[in-house]
Amino acid sequence: MNNRAFAVTAPAVETAHHTKIRVRDLHFHYKEFQALKGINMDIPEKQVTAIIGPSGCGKSTLLRIFNRIYAIYPGLEAKGEILVDGEDILDPRYSMNRLRSRIGMVFQKPVPFPMTIFENVAYGIRHHEKLSKAVMTDRVEEALHGAALWSEVKDKLKQSALALSGGQQQRLCIARAIALKPEVLLLDEPTSALDPIATGRIEQLVEELKSQFTIVMVTHNMQQAARCSDLTAFMYMGELIEFDQTEKIFTKPDKKQTEDYITGRFG
Amino acid sequence: MSSRGLYIRRRISNAMAITFAAAATLLGLFFLVWILWLTLVNGISALHGSLFTRITAYGPEGGLANAIVGSLMMDLIALLICTPIGVMAGTWLAEYARLTRLGTVIRFLNDILLSAPSIVLGLFVYMVIVLPMSNLTQGAVSFSGFAGGVALALIGLPVIVRTTDEMLQLVPGTLREAALSLGVPQWKLTVQILLRAASSGIVTGVLLALARLAGETAPLLFTAFGNNFMSVDPLDKMASVPVAIYQYTNDPDPALHAIAWAGALVVTLFVLALSLLTRLFVSRKKASYE
Repeated sequence: MNNRAFAVTAPAVETAHHTKIRVRDLHFHYKEFQALKGINMDIPEKQVTAIIGPSGCGKSTLLRIFNRIYAIYPGLEAKGEILVDGEDILDPRYSMNRLRSRIGMVFQKPVPFPMTIFENVAYGIRHHEKLSKAVMTDRVEEALHGAALWSEVKDKLKQSALALSGGQQQRLCIARAIALKPEVLLLDEPTSALDPIATGRIEQLVEELKSQFTIVMVTHNMQQAARCSDLTAFMYMGELIEFDQTEKIFTKPDKKQTEDYITGRFG
Repeated sequence: MSSRGLYIRRRISNAMAITFAAAATLLGLFFLVWILWLTLVNGISALHGSLFTRITAYGPEGGLANAIVGSLMMDLIALLICTPIGVMAGTWLAEYARLTRLGTVIRFLNDILLSAPSIVLGLFVYMVIVLPMSNLTQGAVSFSGFAGGVALALIGLPVIVRTTDEMLQLVPGTLREAALSLGVPQWKLTVQILLRAASSGIVTGVLLALARLAGETAPLLFTAFGNNFMSVDPLDKMASVPVAIYQYTNDPDPALHAIAWAGALVVTLFVLALSLLTRLFVSRKKASYE
């Protein structure tokens, strides 16, 4: 591996938190196009890490490697190491079931399954665990509480999830993800399809969820990163330019490119 | 001045385009309405209760009871064959072979089958089912309702393959990602989520296929043949409404023509009802996924 690159780009962010995800010399190719160029990053446990950068900088790509969802499309290739508590999840022998139960993901557009609200949450749990009906009911309720949705849906659990509003659907997707009790929650621009009120709710929820989960969030909205993350990574053209405490990134970043981006000079 | 001329020219060409388009629509509608009107007028005047109670063996004093029963049976046989095969093939195309070369080739072949002349499909079934069965049974079983159902299934199959394929492709890709990110395996995703999300579209495809094969005559000529008596045995020759219409219109007797018109009206109303049912499913689909 390239040690010099480590010295230059491996950001040793000063936090008291244990490192949950350790990214080492990560490269990503789509056919001839190189989307990520040697990313090194230590993501701390039970903190919110935001990834920002202009369109096409590779921020979503990076997020989509953490649970290997990219692998469902042909022609995509990730090289390097991603260690989650020391286990290399890019190892092809690493169990997909284990990976996906440890790392949950919420997508840009809310995508409830064509089932009832209850079934949406229970569906994923059922694949991983055999639970009695009573325990399952508790788990679903717990997840809906966790996603701050319970009070709105408790009387219509048997109704189709497709009838919920966009913001409610997105919180249902969060409930579905946290119902598996993952260690890490990946959020890919979770509010970009929502109105400001629904966005505010999700942001508040992120704040609440970080006591239980390590959260990595991609956002194109800098204010959002500033509002609800502890750490911010700035990416540009497939490289991690700077990764530091959110406050530092938005007040006195080390790199000129970061400063230009957050002050709106490009992007 | 020049810009004024430009506007006027554009207005004229706009008016001309609208006129031609409207005229073409009217021309098409004119014949469509004419056909439906003739069917309705001639059909209603011949529509008696005996149409549904008496069989074709009575000729001019008879009805189409055996043909209606035969048609329903063969349509059912056809659906039972082409629905599972078509849905599974369409699922394979959309979920497992979407971007592959093999998938593209099969999709293309399916489109050819979709537009194949129906008499060719009838001849094909005659060759691969009617003749071998006749040889095997020393002529005891030759033309049969089963063979007719298979021929009709070949009409419906490409319709179902195509709509299933297209409906599944319309399901947002993020739904697949969302399910897979929960650790759910591909087969569960396909069966429990994607087919469910596309279900109303797939049902629409099946109804469209039924509407299409219900009016077919040519595939039945060399397969089910026709029967003047009531038969519900799928290994016997079987009557059908389209074939009865075909035979009666070739007859000089005007009483038979009247029965043929009534049969045409019955088939038309059946297909119309299916179309309405289809629209109902389509509007329900809009209510669920965008």
